[in-house]
Amino acid sequence: MEEKKSFKEKSFNWLDKRYNITGLITFAKKKSVPKFRETIWYYFGGIALLLFVVQVISGILLLMYYKGTEDLAYESVHFISTKISFGWLIRSVHSWSANLMILAVFIHMFSVYFLKSFRKPRELTWYTGIGLLAFSMAFGFSGYLLPWNELALFATKVGTDIVGEVPLIGKPILVLLRGGEEVTGATLSRFFGFHVAIFPGIFVILLTLHLLFIQRQGMAEPDTYKKLPENEKKTIPFFPNFALRELLIWLIVINVLAILAVFFPWDLGTKADPFSSAPVGIKPEWYFLFMFQVFKFLPGEILSINGELVGLLLFSVGGLLWAFVPFWDKRTPEGKRKLILTYFGVFVIIFILIFTILGFILD
Amino acid sequence: MKNKNSILVLSCLIIFLFKIPAAAQPNDECFNCHNDLDDAVAGLYKTDVHFSKGISCSACHGGNSSSDDTEVAMSKENGFIGVPGRKDRYKVCISCHANKDQMKKYGSNIPTDQFEKLQNSVHFQPTFNNQGPIADCITCHSVHDIKNVRDKSSKVYPTNVVELCGSCHSNANFMKNYNASLPVDQVAKYKTSIHGIQNAKGDPKVAECSSCHGNHDIMQVTDPRSRVYATNIPSVCANCHSNSKLMSAYKLPSDQYEGFIKSVHGQALLEKGDLSAPSCNDCHGNHGAVPPGIETISKVCGSCHVLNMELFEQSPHKTAFDENDLPECESCHSNHLIVHPTDEMLGTGKNSVCIECHSSSDENSGYVIAHNMKELIDSLKALDEKTKQVLDEAEQKGMDVSDAAFSLKDIRQILIQSRTEVHSFSIDKFKENIEPGFEKVNKAIISGDDAINEYYFRRIGLGFATIIVTVLVIVLYIKLRRVENKS
Repeated sequence: MEEKKSFKEKSFNWLDKRYNITGLITFAKKKSVPKFRETIWYYFGGIALLLFVVQVISGILLLMYYKGTEDLAYESVHFISTKISFGWLIRSVHSWSANLMILAVFIHMFSVYFLKSFRKPRELTWYTGIGLLAFSMAFGFSGYLLPWNELALFATKVGTDIVGEVPLIGKPILVLLRGGEEVTGATLSRFFGFHVAIFPGIFVILLTLHLLFIQRQGMAEPDTYKKLPENEKKTIPFFPNFALRELLIWLIVINVLAILAVFFPWDLGTKADPFSSAPVGIKPEWYFLFMFQVFKFLPGEILSINGELVGLLLFSVGGLLWAFVPFWDKRTPEGKRKLILTYFGVFVIIFILIFTILGFILD
Repeated sequence: MKNKNSILVLSCLIIFLFKIPAAAQPNDECFNCHNDLDDAVAGLYKTDVHFSKGISCSACHGGNSSSDDTEVAMSKENGFIGVPGRKDRYKVCISCHANKDQMKKYGSNIPTDQFEKLQNSVHFQPTFNNQGPIADCITCHSVHDIKNVRDKSSKVYPTNVVELCGSCHSNANFMKNYNASLPVDQVAKYKTSIHGIQNAKGDPKVAECSSCHGNHDIMQVTDPRSRVYATNIPSVCANCHSNSKLMSAYKLPSDQYEGFIKSVHGQALLEKGDLSAPSCNDCHGNHGAVPPGIETISKVCGSCHVLNMELFEQSPHKTAFDENDLPECESCHSNHLIVHPTDEMLGTGKNSVCIECHSSSDENSGYVIAHNMKELIDSLKALDEKTKQVLDEAEQKGMDVSDAAFSLKDIRQILIQSRTEVHSFSIDKFKENIEPGFEKVNKAIISGDDAINEYYFRRIGLGFATIIVTVLVIVLYIKLRRVENKS
């Protein structure tokens, strides 16, 4: 007599026959995460992923009421914040989550850098990660303008002005970004398009590749871990142990997000007026602040070259060095390899921290 | 013999009076010759103030007045210029009148700044066909028969100056060459004014054209330097009307200026420079200045305060005031010392103006209406204040109440309208106006309360969410420990 199967078993068998679920479970069971002193840093990629999901959900909800035109953008955000049930929460969560996501991406990137996880064979994971960071910042920059308030308008003006300083291609890029010579309603429509269609499309492709690479290659093991004898190498099973730990952290992050959204609701400010003079205290979002502050410190001319151009050149060179670290790292002499990498990383962190703090405290 | 002597004396006297100049210049051959020829100009000159000072024709016309030979006396070599040209003839006058030393020589203490003033005046601008200044010395003071300004026959004597100014300013054909929009009825109006009537009687002390506009330094009325520019008018009028000695002769008070400068109108005009605020002439008229009559006061005030006037005229007060000979607006608001009206003027309190006529024992309902109106205004003001406090509290809590705060801006307008509606003295009309204010305030206060409640709801909600998350975290942690212990 055939044993009577439960509904759960029946459903599993039905799916397993069609989608080879057993294969997936076997793969998941094999998956493990190295357990060592710095395992904590592994969670930040997951936190960034969670916050991206929050961004997508809250963004879609905002999209139901947001109007991306010069006349209605500010009013629609005001409407969302005041008239829609929990609209204030969705908007605040979207803004806070964006900032926390970039923070998580930065931490994730620096941890990967210092753990040297970008080295062979994970160069492409690093490059896709750099792409994800760039697009996260682009999301932030384009999203900052969408409420069409005074501060955002002038910060966008300043930001795009800097792009315009690039020789030859600067002006065409500026016009492409702004949809004209000036920041107007056309810029808003354009940024809205970037923010909700173009960037998410590219971001999802990069993210898929990024995750695919990780699944394919597994978690990176730092040198110190690799050198351990096999019997001393401790691992945590990904399912369920690491997944449960990640879920626990996600819950805490969500709670922190809710606390921030309730206690520090995102201010809307006053409506942008392209014809008014620039208000005092224009500042970009915090993750652009170090660059903004450096540009403020730069003199008008350095060795008869435009100061902003020099700044742009320095940031471009620094950015490229950072992005292509897997490329130059393997070419540095073996003995000094670790030292150069660490010094460069520490310098970048100190540089960003100092100028960000100065940006906050100086007017 | 006695008769002969008498005839001689009389003849001498006649000759002295009619033939011989008042201050004959023994060497003024110009005058002697023209006089002998019975020249009309020489005849006129005998009455001229300059002739009395011994000033020869050559002083203005040039030449050699000591020679009786016309070839010599009227030769160009001797500086003879004949009749000075229209463009430059004023130069002849100013050669002495702008020269202190020259004037002293004739024992005159007339000021010597007339030309300086004239140069900046509207009259010294060139004529439309560029024939010299529009008006120069001769235009007003005449020529050959110029009199001392204190001389009743002087063209510029106060009782003559009106006709003098009117000779141009009442001539539409002439005036349109310079300012077609400028009225030409000033003289006609002036003649209807108290000033004009007295002036026509020969009273030189009342205001005529130059009393207000000045004489040599006349500016356009739109020029802030003009004596009759809106902000300068009160002090111009006060020149006479604050002179208690002068005013007592006409049995007029002299405290109007003092009252006006303290009034809401005076402060707006003189302190804030608000040119839309009334000056003396806006109520009394300018050229046709008269004190407004009792029945016409509301029309005067109503030229600006239109709604108040219309409401008053349709109100029961109109008939009552007319029957009792009470000045309309003035009864409650005063005349020159009109202070900013306050809500205390309404109602039945000690500063109310209503209780000056109405008492609680009134048969009519005036007392009750005044009381109710005041109570409604006070209630709306108090509610408005309370609502603002609620909205402020909500805002301080980070809640957006901008819509409610914006709707409260209407309350100020509703209060202004209601205060205007007071002049209908109808409680029904007043309520129609003020009640929408109560509706708005009530809606706003509900919005404010809702926002504050929402603030606490968010925190309570967050508290619950945090509890749930914390429980989940604990459960997860326990589960994790179990899983990890098992493995």
